[in-house]
Order: sequence, then C-alpha cells, then structure tokens
Amino acid sequence: MSAINWTRDAAAHLLRRAGFGGTPSEIDALYAKGSVETAVSSLVDYTSIDISAYEASLAANNYNLLQTRGVQQWFLDRMAFSPRPLEEKMTYFWNLHWTSGISKVQGVTLIFNQNKTERQYAMGKFDDLVVKISQDPAMLVWLDNWLSRASRPNENYARELMELFTLGVNSGYTQTDVTQLARALTGWTLQNYVKADNYNGATFLDNPAFHDNGSKTILGQTGNWSGYDAINIILNWSDSLGSKSGRFLGAKLWTYFAYPDPPDYIVNQLGAVYDSTGRSIRELVRAIFLSPEFYEPHTLKTWVRSPAEYAVAQVRMLEATADFSAATNSLTAMGQTLFNPSDAKGWGWGTSWMNTGTVFSRASLANSLATNRGTSGTRFDPNKLLAGKDASTADKVVDILADRLNIADVAPDVRAAWVSYMNANDDGSRGNWTNTTANVEKKVRGLVHLMLTSPAFHLG
Amino acid sequence: MSISRRDFLVRSAGFVTVSAMVPRWAVEGAKNFEESVGSAYPGRTLVVLELMGGNDGLNTVIPYTDNAYPQVRARIGIPVSSVLQLDSKLGLNPQMTGIKSLWDAGRVALLEGVGYPNSSLSHFTGRDIWHTADPTLAQRNGWLGRWLDSSIGNNANPLVCAAVSNALPRTLLADKVSVPSFVSIASYSYSTDGAYPGDKSNQINTFVAEAADKYEIENTVEQISALSGVGISSSSTLQMVGTGYFSGGQYPAGSLGSGLQLIAEIINAGVGAQILYITYGGFDNHAGEDKDHDPLVKTVSDGIKALFDDLDAHGKSHNVLFMSWSEFGRRVQDNASLGTDHGTSAPHFVVGNAVKPGIYGTAPSLTQLDSNGNLLIQNDFRSYYGTILSDWLGADSAGILGQGWPNLGFLNKSYV
Repeated sequence: MSAINWTRDAAAHLLRRAGFGGTPSEIDALYAKGSVETAVSSLVDYTSIDISAYEASLAANNYNLLQTRGVQQWFLDRMAFSPRPLEEKMTYFWNLHWTSGISKVQGVTLIFNQNKTERQYAMGKFDDLVVKISQDPAMLVWLDNWLSRASRPNENYARELMELFTLGVNSGYTQTDVTQLARALTGWTLQNYVKADNYNGATFLDNPAFHDNGSKTILGQTGNWSGYDAINIILNWSDSLGSKSGRFLGAKLWTYFAYPDPPDYIVNQLGAVYDSTGRSIRELVRAIFLSPEFYEPHTLKTWVRSPAEYAVAQVRMLEATADFSAATNSLTAMGQTLFNPSDAKGWGWGTSWMNTGTVFSRASLANSLATNRGTSGTRFDPNKLLAGKDASTADKVVDILADRLNIADVAPDVRAAWVSYMNANDDGSRGNWTNTTANVEKKVRGLVHLMLTSPAFHLG
Repeated sequence: MSISRRDFLVRSAGFVTVSAMVPRWAVEGAKNFEESVGSAYPGRTLVVLELMGGNDGLNTVIPYTDNAYPQVRARIGIPVSSVLQLDSKLGLNPQMTGIKSLWDAGRVALLEGVGYPNSSLSHFTGRDIWHTADPTLAQRNGWLGRWLDSSIGNNANPLVCAAVSNALPRTLLADKVSVPSFVSIASYSYSTDGAYPGDKSNQINTFVAEAADKYEIENTVEQISALSGVGISSSSTLQMVGTGYFSGGQYPAGSLGSGLQLIAEIINAGVGAQILYITYGGFDNHAGEDKDHDPLVKTVSDGIKALFDDLDAHGKSHNVLFMSWSEFGRRVQDNASLGTDHGTSAPHFVVGNAVKPGIYGTAPSLTQLDSNGNLLIQNDFRSYYGTILSDWLGADSAGILGQGWPNLGFLNKSYV
C-alpha cells in the first residue's frame, strides 16, 4: 500500500469514484484523514455513519413513492445528499447490474423494494444478495421466473443469472446448463399479488407444486437441486485460478470503480479476495480502493458519467438545492430512464452513453440548472461559489469554477476558450470581465453551463 | 418538400450563426454537398429496422400447412385459417396487412431462416454478432460503419448516416465518421441561456471550442469531443428538414411510428441521407406472448406501410430500400408461461421497388431441429448483408465482410 501517494487529488478522485463527486470541503476532510487506509475505511465501513438526520430530511421531501417518478427522485436525492456516498454508489452499481424494468414489472412498490434490498445487501456476502435478488418479486416478474413451471420451464432468468449476473457469457456453461438451471429454479414464484394493482403486494413463495423434483445436472454436478443448491453450485464453480464468479464480479466492480477491461492479474487478485473472504463484497470493494493501480494516471478521468451520475455530480459539486423534478425526464432523453432499462443487461457503460443526441440532452439538463433563477426546482447560487475568493479577472473565475468541478486539468486551449467566453461581448468582440452582479448572473451562470457540457465533465 | 441545393445553402447561411467554427462539411461542405459522397449510389437510402429482443419468426410468418405447427404452438399459435397467405406454405400474421399490401404490390422479398451458426442463444452476443457481422467478435466497428469508412470517409455530410435513437447502434460505429443520433428535431440542439439571447453565439462557439480537449493517456475525451462539432452541424441541417412537413402515411402511434415519420421527413427533404437506422423493442416474449406479440408485429407492419405510403406521396420511394433484423428467432416449442425461449433463425423482410419479390428459402421444418430444439439456419446473415452491400450500396461486400458470401439474389442488379 505504500505505493499509493495520498494527496488531495487522490482524495478528490476517490470521492468521484466511491461517491458522486466531492465539494472542496468534503475533499479537504477526506484528505485530512491522513492515509489512504483510513480514508478508504471511512467510506467503505459506512454502517457506522449515522444517517438518521438525513433520512428524516429525505422523508420530509415527500417524494411520491407510489409513482416511478417519485422513486427516481428519492434515489437521486440519496445519491446527492446521503452522508454515506458509497452506500448509494454500491446500490447504484446493483441497480445497473440487474435492475428490473418498471414497464414490465408495473408495480412501483416492487421496484422500490428491490432498490431497498440492493441497498441492504449491497456490501454483504454475494451469496445472500444473489438469493435475495433471485427471490425478489420485481425480478421474478421481470425475467418471468414466477411463471416457470416444472412441465416446460421458462429459461429467461436462468440464462441471465449465469450470463449477466454471476458468471459471464464466456465462462463455459452450455445451453444444457441453462435448461437444467431453469428446472432447479422452478417453484420460486409469487403470492399475494394483485394483478389489478400492478402486482403490488406480491411476495416471494417457494411453491413445491411448481418445482421440478427430478435429477438435474448443473455445471457437472448431479442431484435433485433446489434453487438454493443451484446458486451455490454457480458461485462455487471454479477452475485452477479460483471461483469464476469471483473473477466475474471482481472484473465488473473494477470496471465500475476504475476502468474497463482490467488485466488478468488484477482480476485474479480480486477473485482471490472474494474467495478468501467468504465472498465478501465489502472486502472486494476495499481491495479495489487500496490498489495502487486505482490511483495511477491511466485510471483518472476515464469513467463516463452515466446520466444519473451526471445529474447528481453537478448538484453535489455546485452545492445546489435539488428536488430532481427536471432530472427525471432529462435522464430519459439522456438514454437512461431510471428503473426502466430496455432489457436484462441494463444500459451499456462508458462511451456508449455518449452520442450527439445525448450531448444535447445533457446540455439541456445543465442549462436548466445553470439558468434557474427562481426559488424552486434544482438551482445553485453563483455568488456562493465565488464568496471569499478573488474573482476579479476572467482567469480567476475560470480557475475557481474549474477547480470546483474537478476539471482544472483540461487542455490549455479549452481553458483559453472559457476565459475568452468570460471576456466576450455579445457581438463576439473582446470585452473585459468585471465582478458585477449583472456579470455574475450572465457570465458565471453561462460558464457553469459550458463547463458542465465540456467533454471533461462527462468524465469522473 | 425536398430542399434544393441552392435553397439549402441560402437557408443554412441564415440559420447557422455558428458556421465559422463548425468543422468539416457545414463550412466547406456546401460546395461539396454531392462531391463529398464517395459511395456508388449516393442518391439511395437504406433504412434499417432492428427488432430488439429476438422476434418470434414462427408467429410472424406462419408455416400454416405444416401439421406440426398447431402442436408446437398449441397455446400461443396463430390460427392457421387466419393467416394472410403468401404461397401454399407460408402466411403472414393476420395483423400484418400493411406488409401484405406491399407484398401484393411486388415490393417485398421475404428471407426465410436467417441466422448465424453455433449460437450461444445470448441476446447480447447475438446482437454484437449481427452488428459487426463477425461471429468471432474481433471487429470493433459495425458492418455499416465499415461501409461508411470505406465509402464515405471523413468528408461527409453530417446527415449521410443517422440513427433515430437515443443511443448509437454498434452497426454504425465507424472510425472515420461520427454518426449523429436523435429522436426528434425539436430537442436536437444545444440549449443556451434564454435570459441572455445575445450571449448565445458566444456560448455555442465556446461549446464547440471545448472539443479541443485532450487527455494524455486514454482517448475517451477525444471520443466525446468529436461529438460536439458533428452535433452542431447535423443539428443545423436537421432543423431545416422538418419545417412544414406534410405526411403522406398513416403512422402507428408510439416511438416506431414517430421515428419512421422522421426518417421519411429526412429522405423527402433530400439532404443526402444514405443510411437511416431505427430500433424497436419488446420482442423478448418469454411469457405472455399470446397477448404481447400481435401488437408488436402490427405496429411494425403498419409502420413500414406508412413509410412507403409517405415516400410514394413525395415521389421518393424509388431510391429507398428497407431491411429488418433481430438478434435471433425463438424456440419452436412454446413454454408453460405462454411464451417462447431463445432460438436461432427467423424470417426477415426487405422492402422496396428494387427487390425481386418472393420468398428466399423455404418454410422452416418444425421437426428437423438442432439439439436445443431450435430451427436450422437456411440463409447465413452475412449473405443477407452481402447482397445489400453489393446490390444496393454498390460496395465491395467481400472486403467489408472479410470474405465473399453467396448472393441471395433478392435485389434487381440492373435497378437504376
């Protein structure tokens, strides 16, 4: 661990990745922990952080949790304002990993409960989380397992459980393993659902009448397997390097927190952590944040913020007031309707978020934040960001705001373009920025909009 | 509604207040409007529809005289007496009256049993294979992206190829061409501060200048940077396309209908679009297919009919070819949840005046199946692509696909 040089920039990077970006004072506080181990522990061992005051303020916001939009706002609020940023970042990871779509699930309460399950088990044993999700009513509807019957099982969940959730498509399982696993999962179904009420109220039921009690051979092991047995077989499935599920989950978490396509030696190290800690997600995450590679230059500024992260990061880093009322629709235009992915894989990550249309959609959201001069909705105070600082020249204003948004490392031409913008008259001729109320209202808001729509801010 | 080149120049000069820093075509491309196009048939447009989730071919084109059909589809099958007969063995789902009327007009080629060998039955692997035309997944770019690179290059009209989608399909991923994507004209522009309209040009200028950003190690910033210039220039063009459009088709409600109409608007405006891509989802009918599938194929069929009606009304259909694909077909035997699991091959439609109408392949056997109970492959999907590349786009299909594939003969080679 001595290879990690604990700096203020490292603290800012950790807050961007383990959370949704930090304010200057949050970065200072994390840096002041003094060592990377202490700083990482303060984020990873988050159950000791008291969030009761935040929970009370969240409840007071009265988001309508019977509607998808209200649940979206509730989750975005948590990402932006919870004192446990990694708890929300991990919940968001599971949301991306296997969220179920409201368009098919229909029951908002089921989707809301799935989110709470993901949060509750986010950092525990992977076994517990896989079982909970396999028995989660929203998932049972989303991938049809609740309708699977011994006579002709439905393969939908069985396939994705191995392909997308635990092993990966190239891990070596066969179509026969899919059909055999589907047989083992028969009987995991729903009770108490009210179809007229969009399945709300549904709870898990292990129904022996629907279960196939014959012998099944899954990944080479034969027996009258139940769903629990089958999940155990999947997670235990190993080769000479250790469990395949450990390497799969390790690689995906590394992709989420560090960068895509990690080299084999990193994946193998993470798989070993998973195997040696009883498949602890928390220890896997801690190992990532304590890896020297996590702080190396090629890890920095490579994560393309997803639409939700983009919306949240600007609120956090500008210390904005937010109800996310505009964000919920904007996210859809940016290609991400929270809680409603188009298929079981969820959204692609990385540059697949970015195209000419979503660049404009992101600009639209940023513009609505930057130019909201009213007293409701998501808004920030430009004067607050400049308070106590020397904002007498365009260069100084640019540096204050670029530092706040963690994009002070842009190419010199980009910084020059920002400075020119601050000094530009309406006809494009060169003027001179002066720190007046009118100029702050016009140009500082304009600059914030431009910075939020710069390529650099799409990366975290 | 087509825009003449001269009109185009005049109108864009008025609209594009930012033209001074827009890269490539929008600055110098006016004079290169046609010269910049390096493809064999620059006046032609290919419309691609991706059916996401794996469309059930057996409930789309029904082998209605096969006695096995009512057995394997006892619970969710289409009543064979109701099909819209195409020949003595195959008939369309009765919801597909739109396609049937195009068939009757001799404008449809039906390709039976299209797929790829050794399918893992994964949605996502299947999609990647279809997008790249490469079952080994060694290719990064899409099959039409490779065509863009070889035939269009980097001196392109920003609307030479576009996706009507809020994502960029991998089929269109290319090295030299950034393909724009959008879902509506109105939302496709860079927002600025409404309280200070005088500052708008400064904001847009600075936004484009931000594309100069570089990062030493990864190229992610550069990839994102490339989008702003293409976005601004394609937005300028697109804003002109939609003014005062008169639709000549009855489009179905929803995203497919509105997207297909936008495609017709772009084609009818004559701005040089050669590839237009659209997606439509919901086909992963593991359960409840008895209720869910008919509305999907009806929307697709009605949408294609409306598109061609609209193009006919504007005198533009002569230069348009439509094709569909989906990552796989579905299992022959239905499951106990009134649905079907993942399968292999499926029928696909090619529509346009250039087709040699008919059925390519035969009614699929429901009894001679592979070891997973899935249909055998009759036509490799690369033959499907290769025929389009050679005979519609006039391209070197073997070069783009890595090797030659048998031409399926569904296009009229002498069509002009």
